[in-house]
Amino acid sequence: MVRMRKVKEKRCLVTTSSNLTLPPGTIVTGRWKGERYLIQRLLGQGANGVVYLVKQMKSARLYALKMGFDTLDLQSEINVLKALQRKRRKNGSTGKRDLSYLVEVDDYSHQGKEIPFYVMRYVKGEPLRSFLTQQGSRWLNVAGYSLLQQLEGLHDLGFTFGDLKPENVLVSPYGEVELIDYGGVSENGRSVRQFTEWYDRGYWGAGGRTAEPSYDLFSFAVVCIHLLAEPLLKEAAINLPQTRSKSDLLTIVRRESALQPYRKWLERALEGKFRSTAEARQLWREQVQKQVLQRKSKSPTPTWMMGAFTLSVLLLLCALFFTFWN
Amino acid sequence: MKQIMLITDGCSNVGESPVMAAALARQEGITVNVVGIVDYGAIGELGSIEIEEIARAGGGMSRLTGTEKLAQTMQMLTRKTVVQTIQQAVNKELKHILGESSVEVLPPEQRAEVVEVIDELSENSPLQVALLIDASASMKPKLAAVEEAIRDMMLSLGARQGSSQLAVFHFPGAHSGEEAVLDLGWTSNLDSARSIFQRLTMRGATPTGPALLKVIEFFRYGKLNGHRGIHGTDEKGEGEAMLGDYVV
Repeated sequence: MVRMRKVKEKRCLVTTSSNLTLPPGTIVTGRWKGERYLIQRLLGQGANGVVYLVKQMKSARLYALKMGFDTLDLQSEINVLKALQRKRRKNGSTGKRDLSYLVEVDDYSHQGKEIPFYVMRYVKGEPLRSFLTQQGSRWLNVAGYSLLQQLEGLHDLGFTFGDLKPENVLVSPYGEVELIDYGGVSENGRSVRQFTEWYDRGYWGAGGRTAEPSYDLFSFAVVCIHLLAEPLLKEAAINLPQTRSKSDLLTIVRRESALQPYRKWLERALEGKFRSTAEARQLWREQVQKQVLQRKSKSPTPTWMMGAFTLSVLLLLCALFFTFWN
Repeated sequence: MKQIMLITDGCSNVGESPVMAAALARQEGITVNVVGIVDYGAIGELGSIEIEEIARAGGGMSRLTGTEKLAQTMQMLTRKTVVQTIQQAVNKELKHILGESSVEVLPPEQRAEVVEVIDELSENSPLQVALLIDASASMKPKLAAVEEAIRDMMLSLGARQGSSQLAVFHFPGAHSGEEAVLDLGWTSNLDSARSIFQRLTMRGATPTGPALLKVIEFFRYGKLNGHRGIHGTDEKGEGEAMLGDYVV
């Protein structure tokens, strides 16, 4: 069953019973393994927990530490991470960093309560939206391809990411993508564990909430629309649920000029027509290449340069005229 | 697993105590959850106390929400009580085997295994949810949102691996003596959840208790008024057809 659902962009804390605000400088000691972590600062607050940047006392290494509001919810998330790690090991996956995603699982006694937490590697990066604001929206070409690679890896292991949205995509300075918040990751064939309305295909009447690769691809299409045509998406989301449909999204894709380079890809993702994530990644690459080629071949001399040239010729003629006339 | 979800915006004012009806439901193995809608004006202190008490007596949970978060709240309560029901059973076993009384006190490795079982059961156990909608006059402007929330809930339940069924009732009926009306019999078909409340006549009274008792009956016999067997134009039917006639 769908475990958690978030309305639009707002984070909805389903269980807020435990107050997990800990000031920097607090030392979190694990109840079972005794490892100690020094809290540096708050990194973020998710649907089912709080994430801190911590320094492991014995190694002075930086990690991210997530404390859960609910023991069962956090444990299911940990179980998914473990299952992913097991599968990656079995497949002999190359990335060393993937293997060390989950560092430790333990409990922390705080104000007479046991708070479950897990420690994972710390990923530096900008959330997708601010990355594009800083670097220019053309960088979506690069980040999008990297994101599809990440999704492909996950899908190949038999999992769906589920809660794909701009905030859950971190981007390194050169466009390499890292997915964060694994609370929505679900085994293919089961129900999606956590989602956010805007990016949920059920919300747009475009399909069910069963975890499968096409679910993530649909979400990514809405993410693209959100990033490049936000006002239009907002308008469509206001529509009454009975009239809201994926054709609203398709209309935006066909009309908005900023989306034209991605049009073919977005249409197929919204219609659920990709046969695999590999195929989706392939088409993304072809589109990006086409875009680059078009830019090269078409690039006409800018008008300001023509104007400046004309002006300089005129000036030269004037100068010559005056010189010889005298 | 059997659940009743009561959706209301005020206090009951006729007949049997709804708290007692919820306690009866619990004895029959049906968990009762309550959602109080607080859109236009407050629900009142009395209303919110009653909502809490019904849920407590019914072994479930209660929440107050506006219509914009209705779908979300309904699904969250359903999910939480499914997990809770399973967890209670698991805890009993744990106490039996390990002498520990809850999942939380287990060391992380064992906890992981237990939670895996809980997750598995939550996803796969058959589930029946009967929605009981308060259709007193003040609820009228909210019914479109309720209907949409029901559709959304079916979408989510449909994604479960285990069988999931939904039935929809509203109360009170068009004339006295009709405590609850079946709008939609057990179904997992999303398309059946269109224009459920089209033919609804609103009345002022809110007989929450008697309506709950009717739904318990429905769980027991698969139809309303099963023990009396009077309304039967078609006794074998799911009750949908025969009761449809009463909605004018």
